[in-house]
Amino acid sequence: MTHAVMCEDLWKTYQRHRAIGVKSLLLGADTPKETRFAREWALSKVGFEVPRGGSFGVVGPNGSGKTTLLSILLGTVQEDRGSVSLNGRVASLLELGAGFHGDLTGRENVFLYGSILGMRLAEVRQRFDRIAEFSELEGAIETPLRTYSAGMVARLGFAIIISSPADILLIDEVLAVGDARFQAKCHQALREFRARQGTLVIVSHNMKELTAVCDEGICLELGQVVDAGPIDGVVARYRQRAAAAGPGGPPGGALGSR
Amino acid sequence: MAATKRSLPQLAELLYILVRKELKARYKNRFLGYLWALANPFAFAFVYWIAFKFIMRLEIENYSLYLITGMFPWVWLSVGVTGATRSFGVNASLIKKVSLPRAILPLGNVAQEMVHFAFALPVILAFLWFAGGQPPSASWLWQLPVLLALQVAFVYPLALSLALANVYVRDIEYLVGIGFSLMFFATPMVYPIAMVPEAYRHYFELNPLHALMQSWRSVFLHGTLDLNHMAYAAACAAVMAAIAWLLYRKFARRIGELV
Repeated sequence: MTHAVMCEDLWKTYQRHRAIGVKSLLLGADTPKETRFAREWALSKVGFEVPRGGSFGVVGPNGSGKTTLLSILLGTVQEDRGSVSLNGRVASLLELGAGFHGDLTGRENVFLYGSILGMRLAEVRQRFDRIAEFSELEGAIETPLRTYSAGMVARLGFAIIISSPADILLIDEVLAVGDARFQAKCHQALREFRARQGTLVIVSHNMKELTAVCDEGICLELGQVVDAGPIDGVVARYRQRAAAAGPGGPPGGALGSR
Repeated sequence: MAATKRSLPQLAELLYILVRKELKARYKNRFLGYLWALANPFAFAFVYWIAFKFIMRLEIENYSLYLITGMFPWVWLSVGVTGATRSFGVNASLIKKVSLPRAILPLGNVAQEMVHFAFALPVILAFLWFAGGQPPSASWLWQLPVLLALQVAFVYPLALSLALANVYVRDIEYLVGIGFSLMFFATPMVYPIAMVPEAYRHYFELNPLHALMQSWRSVFLHGTLDLNHMAYAAACAAVMAAIAWLLYRKFARRIGELV
């Protein structure tokens, strides 16, 4: 079977002085100390492969490089070394409300985000009823987004990507704000998406969710893959490490599993 | 890189949606809406008219027409470029969290100001007529689109280059504001170039912004294309486009981690 998502020997470092100002040009940039969140390599030698129709979960403590990995897959951040390849149309939901505009109504935001995802307006129009129905926003779809709760924004965002013609979905920790019933509905929709040979890469701290929708996965720590394989095992071992480290554990230890 | 490939119609629709978003967000619940876009250039022109014609009593023929015909293209240029310079920072979430061709963001600012300009056009043309200038002319139907295209070709590469540079050197957005204030007076906008002492006039002629403004004035005031100035403006636009393209190729991929 051909892969849908593959990355090989991925390395990424961030320049730690964020932007040059006249001040830093004159006085020289101060280099911050190396810490867990400001280490040299945000990702090092990360590699994995997801087959078409596969579902892949990424776990790890805060600052372990999960979002960087997803950003590289999406193409918003450039890798330093290694290769990334995705086969198919991509739809992403990396941050709650990103790409939306608070002053526009839900309906207008559907067209905005759909267009950002690469859909033609005619395609969005065609899918609009389905999106509105899935989001369960009802009349609120005609009110400005700034009046929405976080859960409503997440519903709308998820409804758009799940209704898009994408072959690959990249999702970063955005379903957590939905209530239990809506989460179950999302999981059902994700299973149907996979049944259509859709591929899923999902970052989450919600272990129940990961085991419910993924089959394989990796655990990242300090930018390195420390564990890989079937998701149940990866999650179980991640939990063990988190428990062993305890709440006052050393930096880089597994933190906060829900 | 996995950036979704987009066709030209898709890009056009994305641009349309992004511009409409900005305009809607800006004018929501504003009773006078787009009229505010007219107010600014007219207010400026009025102030200069008072200052130069009424107080300093300069003898300039058709001074109000001269002011108005330069002011609107200038506001498009300066507001568009100033906004575009900030566009990557302002739209950080679009840069970091969704995949879209980044060059479209500064283009959005340029297009947005073009929409304002287009809405103002009927008012400008009516003003010209009533103030004793050019009556409505059929040749405007093809001359104005040519000039709109020239202005976009001129403004967009400048906007894109400054937007990219501003990601790396944040002070540029302030320098752009100051730069336009200085250029407004260094470019013959409130005085005709004939008033510049002859020894220096040559340097003023080198200013590509002057060539662009003269191109507009020629169409607005005489209904003719000023091919010399247009050619010079177009040549400068081509040079800036080459620079912008090189900068974009070299720096656009990194901005996701810098904004």
